[in-house]
Amino acid sequence: MDFDEIKKAVVAFETDKVKKLVREFLDKGIEPKVILEQGLVKGMNEVGRLFAIKEYYVPEVLLASESFYAGFEILTPLIAGVEKSMKGKIVIGVVQGDIHDIGKNIVKVMLQSSGYEIIDLGKDVPDERFIETVIQEQPQVLALSSLMTTTMIHMESIIKILNKRKLRKNIKVIVGGAPITQEYADRIGADGYAEDASGAVKLVERLLEINTQKF
Amino acid sequence: MAQVKSLRLNSRDKVRAVIEHRRKFAIFPIVCADHCAYLLNKNFKDVANDGRKLAEVLEYGYRLYKYDMVLIFSDPYIEAEAMGCELEYSPYPKLISNKGRSLTNAIKIKVLRLNSRDRTKNIIKSAKILTEKLDIPIFVSIKGPFTLACFLYGTEEFLKIVISDEMRARDVIDTATNFQLEYLKKLLMIPVHIFIGDPMASASVISPKTFEKFACEPLQILIKQIKSTGMIAGVHICGDTKPIIKNLDNLNADILSIEDITLKTKTLKMGGVSTLTLLNGDKSKIKKEIESALKEDFLILSTSCDVAVHTPVENIKTMVEIARQYED
Repeated sequence: MDFDEIKKAVVAFETDKVKKLVREFLDKGIEPKVILEQGLVKGMNEVGRLFAIKEYYVPEVLLASESFYAGFEILTPLIAGVEKSMKGKIVIGVVQGDIHDIGKNIVKVMLQSSGYEIIDLGKDVPDERFIETVIQEQPQVLALSSLMTTTMIHMESIIKILNKRKLRKNIKVIVGGAPITQEYADRIGADGYAEDASGAVKLVERLLEINTQKF
Repeated sequence: MAQVKSLRLNSRDKVRAVIEHRRKFAIFPIVCADHCAYLLNKNFKDVANDGRKLAEVLEYGYRLYKYDMVLIFSDPYIEAEAMGCELEYSPYPKLISNKGRSLTNAIKIKVLRLNSRDRTKNIIKSAKILTEKLDIPIFVSIKGPFTLACFLYGTEEFLKIVISDEMRARDVIDTATNFQLEYLKKLLMIPVHIFIGDPMASASVISPKTFEKFACEPLQILIKQIKSTGMIAGVHICGDTKPIIKNLDNLNADILSIEDITLKTKTLKMGGVSTLTLLNGDKSKIKKEIESALKEDFLILSTSCDVAVHTPVENIKTMVEIARQYED
């Protein structure tokens, strides 16, 4: 089977074609997990590469993500225990007061397509909700996003609460967003900062010491 | 274009002097209403919804820091709200609904009917008060049509249709541009200088090709209208501007406010001090950034974006005071 067709359809954000191909591959008896890994994920990897070298920008990534999810939604119910086979669990969200979630959504899709289970808390998320979710879900990574200087202070307060409640031992906190810098991340005690979505994937792999590209 | 009142070109107009290369630099850390309201312990929603209060807090900021211009900016959603989008304050405004595809019908009329929450009149009132009271250049911040189109249609959806449905995207941009032209007419009658903020047109978001196709011409139209009245036209785009710097330079604006002022332009640049340095840095770091920025032949020494609400007063004062030591 030529999985390259699915990959190319994701890269070209041909959502209908992605859905059609995924169904065709399933009809031919191909394992859903194989279609996901060899087709959709490779497509998003290529989108990530194009984004990193500035051939793709936010609009192109948003459209490709839409295509990826169209196929992903068909496949995931068919893949038993897909979460357990993933590389790790990540809780992601935009901090309180901030409704700018495009950057977060792009990071989310790139991490998801790289094999991580994602719990997306959305935008304008109160500090306490992040903490509650960390306690309940016990993720390996907490990813915080902020696009505004007025709201980025919540990153610091979330980290302080995690420290105070001694919840930092088994979790890495990463931060990102337009006003965030490595210097700021260091100052507030985050474990890492990434400038963009591709950087976020590399950062998580480095922090979790993951070398494989496979699910 | 209607005749404007006589222009307030005076000896204290250091910004104009820098544009005309009669002076090396002017100083303006981008202090906006949120920071000033915070210092005065005023409810931001009250300030953002009352032209007189807005003028009061901005005047306070000017008298506290003594910079060389004032920018009337409360939040980015003035025009979007006037065109029917809804906001929520907590305490700063957030856009909670947009017009989305319903804009299609509105395009049939030249400009959307203003709704009851039209705060452009507050901005105009504030501009009138400040131009009467303060003997320095007064600028009003308006949104670039590309960014306004994002707010009106919903940012994520609009960014998708610039690729997938160019006709619709152009319709939304045209609506935004037409609205801004009408708004500008009123502002330029006061008269005030204009800063056009177009953050969503940054190369951190869209490609140079998309910028050229959708953001460039609307900006040029607005700049042409501003300059036809003799007022100053500034453009602010944050994030990465390197891939579009030639386009920006060719907009014919008087000032380009960008993060990386080492980029070569024929247009006067504005920037040089990081907002994070002002927020978290100390005197030596601020001084270092000022000295580096003043290597430019001419400059509006400024922050790369609006200063954060909780920026220490001492740091902003330090920026202005250190810079004054380098004045001619």
